[in-house]
Amino acid sequence: MTGLRAASLGAPFEAVPGFKGTDLPATADFRTVKDPWTGEEVYVVPALRPQWAILHVQESDARGNARIYGSPGYDLLMAQAADRVILTAERIVPTEELARMPELTRVSELTVAAVVEAPGGARPGDCHGCYGVDEAGVRRYLEASRSAESLRAYLAATP
Amino acid sequence: MVVALARLARDGELAGHGVNSVLGSLALLLARRLHAPGLRHLAIGGGLDPTPPRLPASSSSSAWLAGSPVVLSNVDFYQLALRGRIDLMMLGCVQVDARGRINSTVIGPFDRPAVRLPGGGGAAVLFQVVRRVVVYRTRHDPRALPAAVDFVTACGNLDRVVTPLAIFRATPDGLRVEGLMPGATLETVARQTGFPVVPTADCAPVPPPTIDELAALEALDPDRLRELDFK
Repeated sequence: MTGLRAASLGAPFEAVPGFKGTDLPATADFRTVKDPWTGEEVYVVPALRPQWAILHVQESDARGNARIYGSPGYDLLMAQAADRVILTAERIVPTEELARMPELTRVSELTVAAVVEAPGGARPGDCHGCYGVDEAGVRRYLEASRSAESLRAYLAATP
Repeated sequence: MVVALARLARDGELAGHGVNSVLGSLALLLARRLHAPGLRHLAIGGGLDPTPPRLPASSSSSAWLAGSPVVLSNVDFYQLALRGRIDLMMLGCVQVDARGRINSTVIGPFDRPAVRLPGGGGAAVLFQVVRRVVVYRTRHDPRALPAAVDFVTACGNLDRVVTPLAIFRATPDGLRVEGLMPGATLETVARQTGFPVVPTADCAPVPPPTIDELAALEALDPDRLRELDFK
């Protein structure tokens, strides 16, 4: 999250409390800098700048203005950090419908490169207000993902 | 174990739990029903003080928004934590060692692990910004509680470790047994632990669940999802 936040601000890195005495910084090249005001050592995490973020939303217009119902998780941060965004949407709605309550729009068209109408696009995961977790489906996916071959077959058979 | 975890939550605290933490989330729901009605429960699914009609199997389920006046994103949650506003976290782990250091990353060397584990999910930071962290493990054996972990995923403000056999208190000198779960003795705990077991001066048996606690637990989790973690 810290790396994405640095990217969303156009910053090279961001300072974050924690990590002291753990083995994680060494594995991810997190380094320490001295706080210029207090002199204290603090970990910094380099910006993580994805070229693409792909977000599944409940409603988007054709231009890429989208509503997300339920928890947005890390979606908004990913959209803010990535160079470009692809939206997959349960429903494509007219822009005028969003304009009636623009405060509900969480992703703006300004960073969106493409919108895909993809009802059921979060399956076998859940999509708030549309469907819940499909546990048997998750198990099928895990089974299929054991080899590249079975994963290809699974993807070919999945709408 | 859920009852033991719930008893560790205090009235008025702002508390959270990890992803896929059936026991941790259930313990917070239970504490709110019983001794800590003023406990604030941050569900990782985005709800504040949620009242799911049935305990959801997944921590990302929309049911964790039921009854919540607000939807908090994961970013909102971490920002609260980083500002030092969260009092208590209930987190599962794979290993915890004599010094109270957690491993949820790898068994064996990082580059050539014997087993790659799910990862800490922010624990390396949460352990140092949340006031106290209660860790639980559903298995108590020398592999789950080794003398020293292969990889330190998180360490810091550990408060208690709860297992099916014991409650450990984190002290400056390492983990100390302060409670023996019903049926467990210091000898069985010592045999099942990968480091020398030292009791606290006030070490005592953990009182078994009361009828009220068991009834509330059953009402919150009629599908007994809490048992899945032990299989």
